[in-house]
Amino acid sequence: MLNSGLKKSLVIGKYTFKEIIGSKILYNTLFLGMALLLVTYVAFSFTYGEPSRVALDFGMGCLALSSVGIAIFIGVGILSKEIDNRTVYMIVSRPVPRFSFILGKFLGLSLVLILNIIILSLITLSLFFLIGGTFSPLIFWTIVFIIIESLVVLCLVGTLSIVTTQTMSVLYTIMLYILGHSIDTAMTTNFVKNRPEIQALLDGYHFVLPAFYKFNIKSFLLYENNLSLAYLGSTFSYGLFYIIFLILVSIYIFEKKNLD
Amino acid sequence: MLSFSTHNIIMLEFVNITKTFSSDILKKPFTAVDGLSFTIDAGKTIGFLGANGAGKTTSIKMAMDFIRPTSGEILYGKELGNKKIEAFSKMGYLPERPFFYPHLTGFEFCQYMGALSDISAKEVKKQIKKWAPEFKIDFALDRQIKTYSKGMLQRVGFLATLIHDPKLIILDEPLAGVDPVGRKELKDIIEELKLLGKTVFFSSHIVSDVEEICDNVLFIKNGKLLFDGSVDKIINENIKSEYRVRYYKDNELCKILVEDKEKNKSIESLIKDGADIISVEQERMSLEQIFYNVK
Ligand SMILES: Nc1ncnc2c1ncn2[C@@H]1O[C@H](COP(=O)(O)OP(=O)(O)OP(=O)(O)O)[C@@H](O)[C@H]1O
Ligand SMILES: [Mg+2]
Repeated sequence: MLNSGLKKSLVIGKYTFKEIIGSKILYNTLFLGMALLLVTYVAFSFTYGEPSRVALDFGMGCLALSSVGIAIFIGVGILSKEIDNRTVYMIVSRPVPRFSFILGKFLGLSLVLILNIIILSLITLSLFFLIGGTFSPLIFWTIVFIIIESLVVLCLVGTLSIVTTQTMSVLYTIMLYILGHSIDTAMTTNFVKNRPEIQALLDGYHFVLPAFYKFNIKSFLLYENNLSLAYLGSTFSYGLFYIIFLILVSIYIFEKKNLD
Repeated sequence: MLSFSTHNIIMLEFVNITKTFSSDILKKPFTAVDGLSFTIDAGKTIGFLGANGAGKTTSIKMAMDFIRPTSGEILYGKELGNKKIEAFSKMGYLPERPFFYPHLTGFEFCQYMGALSDISAKEVKKQIKKWAPEFKIDFALDRQIKTYSKGMLQRVGFLATLIHDPKLIILDEPLAGVDPVGRKELKDIIEELKLLGKTVFFSSHIVSDVEEICDNVLFIKNGKLLFDGSVDKIINENIKSEYRVRYYKDNELCKILVEDKEKNKSIESLIKDGADIISVEQERMSLEQIFYNVK
């Protein structure tokens, strides 16, 4: 049963991917890529100093933000639109366990998202190399973490959209995104350092809510500090576990849900 | 957990099903389906009649396990297997107001549904070849579904419902939004399914459609079952004791209604008056009239 359920997920993933490719959303991404390129180019033309570093900083920043934007944009409808449009009936009226539906949907959309990010990265990087940038392995890791961060956002907004409205789930996701990026700054303030109970609270945050700041390794990239493999590995697994955790939560909710 | 009936000839059984919705904590919960019991017997075509809001769609959603009953039990027949997954591979379902993935083509959609029902691509093609011409949709299968008209959506949805050759076919208002010619075509297909030995259960508002193609009819009002039985039976039970006599007199066509007891006497006197009798027919109520009168 698990085996055939996973097979069905692959089918659902495949057609979810087809459906989105058919909707021509990728054209918007190319458009976004061009805009990114232009903005980065303009920014770097107006700066003194090391142009390629500015381009990299700015380009990667924009890349991260647009990836998260795309993730929210396609993720908010992933499950709620299926329920609202009643297309979900066509799937769960077949011999398909409900978990396969959730898994397949996330699978298909993740693929779309990753494809988008790869396209945007290639555009950004080609400009970077064109103006004399040099490759470092950290560039690769930065992009990997941008992908993981966007996948977490995708799963987050998708999970929230089963329990609340689309607007609210976008708002909550943006809130959690900002919170998750500022939590490490909060940890270093004297206010927190002097209060161990708040520190413990913030430590616990990682286990429940996504600690997005972990995925931001841009400053390391810029100043060429080496990042230990241990850090990369643990952050990578943190992201992966968080994604699995969110998918399990949405499966749990969806199993219990009345589809009307 | 789904339960299974031990009966051979039963496809699906509702046992005292009630469904209440509580939208507001302060308000009293609303009872959409109220103590509904019936069976869907194998090989029968069953019409599920009721006005808007009677609880037809809610009942069908419970049969498909989309929503769970507040109380009561739904039993799946032995014919459908022993597990939910197995049962659903032998059931076909068409939702009301169908809406499908707009950017897939009709063909891709059928392949998708086939793959979810463990049907090989080859088998899907075979089924499409058989049914698409009957649904008059074969010309549009390579177009994106977003370009389809309402009637075309209904047809491709119906086609996808049959793609895995199901035994039990549940259709929620399959004839809604289809033009008169299309209704006839779809009704012909439902009759063909019956000849193929399928069990068909479909909801409708239109009594005459049900009268035309169904063996049995279920009639619900405000979530309660008011009638469950064969179409012939309900019509025979409601036959009137009146006869309509048509005759010519002075080159004019006339008709009168007479009671059963008086019919011979009246005809005799008509003939005496020089009338030319053309026909004597028992007055028959249509299902439509019967259900309008049901309180
Ligand atoms: N999720 C829900 N929450 C609250 N009430 C509901 C819900 N779903 C259905 N109802 C109510 O249950 C009743 C029965 O609805 P249902 O859709 O089953 O009717 P129907 O017989 O299919 O009608 P129609 O012929 O118009 O399709 C209606 O009064 C409807 O408002
Ligand atoms: Mg309905």
